[in-house]
Amino acid sequence: MLAQLHQVEQSLNQVILGKSSQIRLALCCLLAEGHLLLEDLPGMGKTTLAHALANSLGLSYRRVQFTSDLLPGDLVGLSIYDSRSQQFRFQPGPIFSQVLLADEINRASPKTQSALLEAMEERQVSVDGETRPLPSPFFVIATQNPLFHAGTSALPESQLDRFMFRLSLGFPEREAEHELLRSDNRSSRLNLLSAQLSPEQLNTLQLAVDKINTSDALIDYLLSLVSSSRHRRDMLPLSPRASKAVLRAAKAYALINGRDYVSAEDVKTVFPFVAEHRLDPTSNARECKLSAMLLQQTPCPL
Amino acid sequence: MLTSANLLLWAVLQLALLILLQEAFAWWIIAIYALLLLYSATAVLQKRSAASLKLANIVAALLTLALLLNMRQAGVLHFMLQILLLSAILRLFAMRHLHEARQLVWVQYFLIASCFILHQDMLLALIIMLLFGANCYSHYKLFAPAGARLNFTLTGRAVLIILPLWLGMFLLFPRLPPFWQIPNAKIASTGLSDSLDPGSIEQLVQDDRLAFRAEFSGTLPERQQLYWRSYLYEHFDGRTWQVHPQRRQQAVAPPTTAPDSATAGYRIIAEANQQRNLFALGMPYSSSQGVKIGSGGLIVADKVVSQRFSYSIESALAPLPLQSERERDMNLQLAAGNPKTSEFAAALRQQHTDTEQFIAALAAFFNQQDFYYSLTPPPLGRDSIDQFLFQTRSGFCGHYASATAVLLRYAGIPARVVGGYLGGDWHPQQGYLAVRQREAHAWVEYYSQGHWQHFDPTAAVAPERILQSLDMSLSDDERDMLIPFWQRSSVLQLLSLQLMHLDYYWSVWVLGFDDRSQQDLWRTLRQHIRLIAYSAVAIVVLFLVGMGLWLLHRRRLSKPLPAKQLLLKALKPALKSKAPAQSVSACLNELAKRYPNHAAMLQQLLQHYELAVYAGQPQAEHNLKRLLQQHKSSLAALNRAIKNT
Repeated sequence: MLAQLHQVEQSLNQVILGKSSQIRLALCCLLAEGHLLLEDLPGMGKTTLAHALANSLGLSYRRVQFTSDLLPGDLVGLSIYDSRSQQFRFQPGPIFSQVLLADEINRASPKTQSALLEAMEERQVSVDGETRPLPSPFFVIATQNPLFHAGTSALPESQLDRFMFRLSLGFPEREAEHELLRSDNRSSRLNLLSAQLSPEQLNTLQLAVDKINTSDALIDYLLSLVSSSRHRRDMLPLSPRASKAVLRAAKAYALINGRDYVSAEDVKTVFPFVAEHRLDPTSNARECKLSAMLLQQTPCPL
Repeated sequence: MLTSANLLLWAVLQLALLILLQEAFAWWIIAIYALLLLYSATAVLQKRSAASLKLANIVAALLTLALLLNMRQAGVLHFMLQILLLSAILRLFAMRHLHEARQLVWVQYFLIASCFILHQDMLLALIIMLLFGANCYSHYKLFAPAGARLNFTLTGRAVLIILPLWLGMFLLFPRLPPFWQIPNAKIASTGLSDSLDPGSIEQLVQDDRLAFRAEFSGTLPERQQLYWRSYLYEHFDGRTWQVHPQRRQQAVAPPTTAPDSATAGYRIIAEANQQRNLFALGMPYSSSQGVKIGSGGLIVADKVVSQRFSYSIESALAPLPLQSERERDMNLQLAAGNPKTSEFAAALRQQHTDTEQFIAALAAFFNQQDFYYSLTPPPLGRDSIDQFLFQTRSGFCGHYASATAVLLRYAGIPARVVGGYLGGDWHPQQGYLAVRQREAHAWVEYYSQGHWQHFDPTAAVAPERILQSLDMSLSDDERDMLIPFWQRSSVLQLLSLQLMHLDYYWSVWVLGFDDRSQQDLWRTLRQHIRLIAYSAVAIVVLFLVGMGLWLLHRRRLSKPLPAKQLLLKALKPALKSKAPAQSVSACLNELAKRYPNHAAMLQQLLQHYELAVYAGQPQAEHNLKRLLQQHKSSLAALNRAIKNT
């Protein structure tokens, strides 16, 4: 099963060149059943990565381009009056899919952004007083432009908190970009990606994440890392939800690396991407200053 | 850091000190100091640099010279205070460096503490404590990094920790006698004085300040007996009554033994009045230290009462005996004038040859003729007693006492005017009697049957004044005149009353805690020495046990895992020097990169270490131990290589 996962990783690496660590982290996020936020400048390959992820995992996906006039109904769906049956019939929106690509999420109005809130946390939506479950698995992969870009409205802290990971792709290496320019059309490559993992296999892998070993000493280290954020004025404190997310992400990361235990290095690797957007919602995804500072100042007894 | 806010705070602090210590300064010193402070403050506000050191030195030299010349007049203590404040003010005047600021803060602590030499009042103590807090804050600011804020919980905890020590110091620190002589203040004395004009008591009555408080060891005597004697006026010049010069020379009365009449024991807490005359009821026969029973049964303090002062008295509630023949003659002297009074006295005396009958007739005269008791009597001209008795007939207790004494002397009965206080407000819950300046009163003592008998003519005119209070005997308008505007609201009145009670406890428990109370405390402590020793031992033992448990717990928490200990022993140079945030795995990986020929071994070690620490496999630890044994030589080589780089 792990082999298939590595195959998925490999094929993703062929689409997105020179970004193996980000791809591994993105996969780790999906294994940990977390939602993923990709933040970067336009044209850095955010949407491509999102597409590729959905494609290679063989999941049904919809893409929604978020704009300022997108309404919650456009996302969730509407009840439409059917004149033939003389009844209201619910027309499910794009959210009823296994992967929702929310492109440029910070271009939408706060109202629409918050419609995603319930869906992301509860994995269900309420329309016209009726609660409808979303398909399983359900991922939101959202992309956003950095905040200083025109026409963006920042995601509120509560919603940022719903995203387990926030990743930035960054500029590719010179060789990688050289390769990119030489090779043929990227989108054709994207289409070549086939499902290498069945939903059942994905489910098994997600269950395996739960079984990864965590020692008490490691949890103590994680706690001292998290609690050091709670007595400071220059950052928001990390919530228990955040510490849970860090541990789960570290477990998934250990799984991808073929271990059945979480090491301190796993925690240190995933921590900036899980914690930074919770420590400072206005921070830039490229430089994880605050979490780097916490990592540097917290002694590691392991 | 030396911020302008700090400099300004010091300027304000020193101004407050100047005001608090102003007793110790002549007016020209105050003026010069205030100008220097003004200069420093404006320099800070206008962001000018401070005065040069040269200028400060010149000013210091000149002022020190002036203060030295003034020292004989000011006294050593005041001179010291002047010099101390001068040094603080000039430090601020030429403040440029941080180390100067640190000196200044310490000098200011000393100055603030020295305020207690001059002031023991509760409210002023509060203000002095506030100044102390401000100085502490500036001290903190001096060392705190820029932008740091005072952590109030931490400060509060620190204060709580120091509180027991502070209380212990207060209770147990030896009460040494002062090293210095506190010079007599040049401020005016308050209360009654050694001369009594017809109008002087009316002025005093408008003063709402406390004169003294009294607490009784037995029951409170009847109100008619609460005549607090303070002055004897025996010399009359036709208008003003004065303390007789002979009385002044006669310092101490012969000791009197305990009488067989009713007695009262009481403690008096006198407010500072800048004079020596104090207060007592009836005939005092025993007094505590610090005061003497002077002639005429008056209480005289050993020193001028310049601070709140407490003493105890036992009194017989009986008339005083005649001390000498001279005393009787002294009280028959009369001044020229007042012919009508003389005639009237002679006529009345012919009708009533018996002294007691004469007094009764006099009381009836005051009672039945239309005499009025008033705070605002019309002014009297020449022959003031004549005018008062037969024309204006409106006056205050001073007028009645004066007129009665003159009448008695014309009738050949020795008589004198007594100045003091009448009654007081009894506070049953707090158990003390508060006597204010407005309770000032004058009455008469006349000689009869070997004793000085008491006669209060005011009682004949306005009995309410004696039986109830001053307010009851006055008209509404006059009563309003007496009450300060801020006391007319009942809330404020209640507040000021509570404040007075608080002030009472302050003086009894804090100021009254002298060397004798301390000795009592020591004696009580000594009686329970065994109990105290046992509980002290128990507390220490409990503390040590708790401390030990806590340390053990901490140690267990911070004790490195066994696997890590193994690695620590084997790879000491590398692992000891790693950054605390770096994990062992990362460190080993780094070593593997730096020393490729040991990489294989290091990877193996890493794998077993991780299995032991993270996966919790018991045999991994065992394997690690074996592995370390196996690679002993290469580990030694690695360690050597690390040490050499």
